[in-house]
Amino acid sequence: MLLQIEKLIPAYFEPAQIIGSEIWGKRIDVLPGELIKIVAPSGSGKTSLIHFIYGLRNDYNGKIILKEQDLQLFKPEDFATIRSKILSIVFQDLRLFPALTVFDNLEIKRQLNPFHPKEKIIEFAHRLGIESKLQSRAGTCSYGEQQRIAIIRSLLQPFEMIMLDEPFSHLDNVNAKKAMELILEECKSRNACILLADLERVDFFPYTKLLNL
Amino acid sequence: MFINIQDLLKKSNIRKNGFDYISVTKLITNDNMGKDNRFTPEDITALQNQPFIDDAAPLIPNRFQVVASAGEMIPFASDIFIEALDNKFIDTVPPGFTWNEGQATVPIIFSSEFLEMYNVFAPSYGLPQLSAATASNVNISLRCEGSLGERVFTAQIVAFSDRVNSLLAPKSFVDWANETLAGEKNVKASRVFLKTKDANNADLLQFLENKAYRINKDKTAFGRSRQILQGIITGLAVFGMLVIILALMLFSFYLQLVIAKSKQSLELLLTIGYSPSWLSKKIAKQFIPVYFIVVIIALLLTQLMQWGFHHFIMYDRPELNTVLHWGVVSTAIILIILSIITNYKMIKKLLFKLF
Repeated sequence: MLLQIEKLIPAYFEPAQIIGSEIWGKRIDVLPGELIKIVAPSGSGKTSLIHFIYGLRNDYNGKIILKEQDLQLFKPEDFATIRSKILSIVFQDLRLFPALTVFDNLEIKRQLNPFHPKEKIIEFAHRLGIESKLQSRAGTCSYGEQQRIAIIRSLLQPFEMIMLDEPFSHLDNVNAKKAMELILEECKSRNACILLADLERVDFFPYTKLLNL
Repeated sequence: MFINIQDLLKKSNIRKNGFDYISVTKLITNDNMGKDNRFTPEDITALQNQPFIDDAAPLIPNRFQVVASAGEMIPFASDIFIEALDNKFIDTVPPGFTWNEGQATVPIIFSSEFLEMYNVFAPSYGLPQLSAATASNVNISLRCEGSLGERVFTAQIVAFSDRVNSLLAPKSFVDWANETLAGEKNVKASRVFLKTKDANNADLLQFLENKAYRINKDKTAFGRSRQILQGIITGLAVFGMLVIILALMLFSFYLQLVIAKSKQSLELLLTIGYSPSWLSKKIAKQFIPVYFIVVIIALLLTQLMQWGFHHFIMYDRPELNTVLHWGVVSTAIILIILSIITNYKMIKKLLFKLF
């Protein structure tokens, strides 16, 4: 079992907010290699769920068990370990270093726990069409470009599960499909699980489990 | 500089085995003139019992008249006094400094200062000046006259003393002569010799003042100015410590500011999976060269000042050092280690707070 969620409810939720949810207050088991799609209207707690699992916040009731360990018992060092080995993420708000170049933004992640050689950065950038931007400062890139940088960054480390929070919100369909292909390829080579959360159905994501939040 | 001045203050006293030797008398005022101002055995015991006095011994005076003459070579005769003092208080005790009843020659330990005084006035009286060696060879005739009789002895100077300003004869001789010639036993002393670790000890000076005992003014005058100087130097040292603490605090504020300024980047690094311990080590390491540079520059400046102080103000006095004391260098090393450890801990604390 990779991830197990038990009766998870955000501490700040009203009881009415979890009615009809297939995740909040329920039990969810996630197996390695599963492709999970979470459809969530705004305000339903999609980003909260991802932040709970990633350890950015812990104001919830219930349990999140990652690789047989309760996240509530994790120390900062433990989170650092899982973030460099087990969990990867594409934030909705991207979270890049605006003052660093695109290449440095990617290299700083690659160096943390090198899974790919340096050349892969150029290859991925080429595939997603941002190769020419590698030496620009990330802060000067458009949202669409920044989103692709964030996607590439998430693929430069080893992981067993990748969480994508509205990963294609700033991309057109052609670019979104290219990115999806790259993510699927990378996950397949790691036998990793994908947890994709979006406002509506992304029809080019071949999910194996669909959950409404 | 602090250490140098401490050294200087310590070395300005004539010391033997780390002790000061001073003689005290009772202060003669118009009120107690004519009374018995000699020390009773109780007075001496009281002195011995003080924590700042290591030992005390009376200087027993002669109670008979003594006239010394040097024969034909030096046509000079004078009334003199002789005293007896416990041998352990005398800086130069030759093996021959003993006297038994019936012995015609009395060994004398002569004050170096008295010899100097003699050499000053000798030419005015047409007397030859004497070196210490010559003085030792002069046979002095000692005529002792008391109420019970008169005896003539030969006296010989066997040693010179820097410490005791007196003419010292063996105690056995003075006791015997006091009893035989003057009929006095257990003669009370008008002077007491003190052995103390520090003649300028404030408690000692206070005690002697309360008892109205008088001691060598030179030594206490120096003691007073030394106390003031010591106070100033100690004040400076405390001030220096405060400056160091202030500087350390300032540096830690600076570190906090640096971290606060790059808070967002650090937070993001932690978010993408960098370990807070690793990151704090990395940041702390960045500052290590800064500590070293600061402390080394400070050491060099201190060394320069020390050299200037020694060379220009102290004129290269040999008892002082131009090179910094090892204590200063080790303090610098301790400061470096201390700042590395405390700042690393602080960075770690701040980073874990960001998490």
